[in-house]
Amino acid sequence: MSLLDIEDLRVTFATADGDVNAVNGVSFSIDKGETLAIVGESGSGKSQTAFAAMGLLAKNGRAAGVARFDGQDLLSLSQGQLNKIRSKDMAMIFQDPMTSLNPYLRVSEQMAEVLMLHQGISKSAAVTEAVRMLDAVRIPDARARVTMYPHEFSGGMRQRIMIAMSLLCQPRLLIADEPTTALDVTVQAQIMQVLSDIRNDFGTAIILITHDLGIVAGFCDRTLVMYGGQIMEEGPTHDIFASPEHPYTSGLLKAVPRLDREDATLATIAGEPPDMSSLPPGCPFSPRCGQLLDNCEAERPALQAAGDRRRACHLSVQEVA
Amino acid sequence: MLSFVFRRLAVAIPTLLILVILSFVLMYSAPGGPFNSERPLPPEVLANIEAKYGLDQPFWKQIVNYVIGVVTQFDFGPSFQYKDRSVNDVIAQGFPVTLTYGFWSFVVAVSVGVSLGVAAAIKQNTWLDYLAVGVSIGAQVLPNFVMAPILLLVFTLWLGWLPGGGWEGGQWNYLIMPVIALSTSYMASIARITRSSMLEVLNTNFIRTARAKGLPMRRVIWRHAMKPAILPVLSYLGPAFVGMITGSVIIDVFFSTGGIGQFFVNSAFNRDYSVIMGITILVGALTILFNLLVDILYAWIDPKIRY
Amino acid sequence: MLPNKAAVEGVGDAMQLAEVKGRSLWADARTRFFRNKAAVASLVMLALVAGFALFGGTIAQYENDFVDFSLIGSNAYLGVPSVDTGHYFGTDSNGRDLFARTVQGTGISLMVGVVGALVAVIVGTLYGAAAGYYGGRIDGIMMRTVDVLMSIPFMFVLILMLVIFGRSIFMLFLGIGLISWLDMARIARGQTLTIKNKEFVEVAVATGVHPIKIILRHIVPNLLGIVIVYATLLVPNMIIFESFISFLGLGVQEPATSLGALINEGSRTMQFGYHWQIAFPLFFFVVTIFAFFFVGDGLRDALDPKDR
Repeated sequence: MSLLDIEDLRVTFATADGDVNAVNGVSFSIDKGETLAIVGESGSGKSQTAFAAMGLLAKNGRAAGVARFDGQDLLSLSQGQLNKIRSKDMAMIFQDPMTSLNPYLRVSEQMAEVLMLHQGISKSAAVTEAVRMLDAVRIPDARARVTMYPHEFSGGMRQRIMIAMSLLCQPRLLIADEPTTALDVTVQAQIMQVLSDIRNDFGTAIILITHDLGIVAGFCDRTLVMYGGQIMEEGPTHDIFASPEHPYTSGLLKAVPRLDREDATLATIAGEPPDMSSLPPGCPFSPRCGQLLDNCEAERPALQAAGDRRRACHLSVQEVA
Repeated sequence: MLSFVFRRLAVAIPTLLILVILSFVLMYSAPGGPFNSERPLPPEVLANIEAKYGLDQPFWKQIVNYVIGVVTQFDFGPSFQYKDRSVNDVIAQGFPVTLTYGFWSFVVAVSVGVSLGVAAAIKQNTWLDYLAVGVSIGAQVLPNFVMAPILLLVFTLWLGWLPGGGWEGGQWNYLIMPVIALSTSYMASIARITRSSMLEVLNTNFIRTARAKGLPMRRVIWRHAMKPAILPVLSYLGPAFVGMITGSVIIDVFFSTGGIGQFFVNSAFNRDYSVIMGITILVGALTILFNLLVDILYAWIDPKIRY
Repeated sequence: MLPNKAAVEGVGDAMQLAEVKGRSLWADARTRFFRNKAAVASLVMLALVAGFALFGGTIAQYENDFVDFSLIGSNAYLGVPSVDTGHYFGTDSNGRDLFARTVQGTGISLMVGVVGALVAVIVGTLYGAAAGYYGGRIDGIMMRTVDVLMSIPFMFVLILMLVIFGRSIFMLFLGIGLISWLDMARIARGQTLTIKNKEFVEVAVATGVHPIKIILRHIVPNLLGIVIVYATLLVPNMIIFESFISFLGLGVQEPATSLGALINEGSRTMQFGYHWQIAFPLFFFVVTIFAFFFVGDGLRDALDPKDR
């Protein structure tokens, strides 16, 4: 049985200018200890998918569908029931480490409260455990620095603290929402190393949400490509990279700068990211697709499985350039 | 922390001195002395009186004597109108009264205001929120000098539930209308500030983190959101304090509570300069002390402020 | 008694953001403002109140200082509001026409509010802009001075001044002006600190434009949004302030009057059942204050649209 099973997830935001459909019928699953990448540009609904599963949507957001974690539908749970799962079984780290820690509380307090809440241990025991976890994510001199405030740490350090904090209860699933986007390239590599280590050490399943294909390649078992709140393509990371079966994936891969090719200019995908309040009736990618067929703009392609891959495109596999 | 307190004190003391000098200069420059107003006194008598009060001395000596008296002995000098009373007597009589209802007004304004604001923010766009916003908007147009007659009209003249004035040692039924009249508009402002700052804080990333940790909402609010949400309220407390102590003048006039405000107004009409000055300086000192406390509290809550 | 500083500062930030995005801020704000029903209704109310203050005198049947001796001693039944006697709002306890007096009181309160707020805003903006622009030690000294002045209970000093130098509208303006520019100065300084790092200011500095000209030409116009909002919110506070002083009998002097003075008079006689004597001035007071607050809030929300 898979750890997290998402079926036909839809997320809608009520705004002054009408409803915005951020996620439109997304289904996927992740197994214990597996690593899944959700890739897409901003506004593709990848983060909102995760927020919906965690019950952290903004106030005007509504989620429909099923998100089964360990057999329990997360979307039908009350906040109180969700709180028993959050961080304990399913944790999340966020894009912006600079603002994701409470600036008014010491790191020790913020970390200890997780253990005190979920495991009912004493504060001193919780702090000891927090220090151990900070050591594990390689915060130097953790014992002394645990009582400092977040603003006394650098951005990379704060993201390590976030990771350490999310791992305190040894959750079975960690959702990392663009964990390296706000950080320097060298720090990015360190954070990915930390994530890689904890996956190996604790066997945590990880959903890595990112727009950066570069960090996906060496890290994730499977990759899922989203566009306009829908899944475009999914499959083993290696296969997706070697032979993309969707024009969008193929466009994304061409847009990654590479040192082993001597291109004069970097390829880009023409056009603008989709307006989520008025998606085209057909394929959401159709306005930007270079290989448009007659029915692409009118008919939404269904997500079809073939072997261990899934794709939503009217083109045949061979036709994708 | 200690050096922070000392540095704030270093600003507070000159401020107080400026206030003392300012009010002394104002008084000194008043046309005509305090004793040649109504009935003209024989010149030798006037000279005697002026010598007694030290008014015959040069300006700088008068001011130095006054400052020394205030600083070393907390002595604001004699009243010019009541021969048998010193300014200290006036303060000793009126100040406890002002302090009593002022304290309760402050407690009511802060506790009700903050709770209302927090409740409105948590229950945003529910009837509770609309009620809180409505009350706080309504109370903005009800400053103390409007609240006082309305309360008096309703609770004393129409319903006959509460005494229309007096103090009687601060019994609750004498205390209740002054406290409501004084605290309402500040309660409303505090509720508005709390609501909007709480809403802002609840939208921050670190609150999302706290929720992702599985903390119950109650704990998210109290432990994670309260401190940052209360900071704008803290900055408002200084002005609120000044407003309330000023409003006490109205309260004393209206409810005959006998606080320093009453003496202040009487002295203002009697040109009893030494009493006016004494009260002004006392109120100024209280304000400065209060602001100092607020600053320290602010620095204590916000770890980003360097001492 | 002053507008909340933090609530106003958002306007400045929003305006600078809008400038970056290249939207037409003022047009957007106008659309948003006119979509706000409470603000538009309040604007209409304000126009009506101003019209009442300006032209009410022409429909009053009596001069505001005319004492109707026929009413003295029988105010309770002869002084009631009535169209027949021409005393639309009744008479005050001295037998003067309350309608005429309310017209005058509203006018004076409005004038004090608007002029007081203008003085405060102009002084505060220039002071704050100068402190923020020059920065360094000048800034330090100027803002420390503001800090010091802020912790002085000015109402008491003002009353002391009114007692010593006699009561006059001029003293009142001076006193009000002394108190209310401080917050504006702080806001203006904060905004100036961000504006002065903008390219257009740097260009002006680099081409050797005089600092005073830079402040007036480049910095102050960019503070306009925040200044308008703050001024609108300051007016009702000034009216409350003046009413407070007049309420104590230290404000405008007879036969002139203001809403605060009228409320004071009314509050003394309401126990005898002359409720109209407090009701009419109080009504105009509350409506005016309400309307200014709503217009100010509407302007703020129009210029800084975010959920509050």
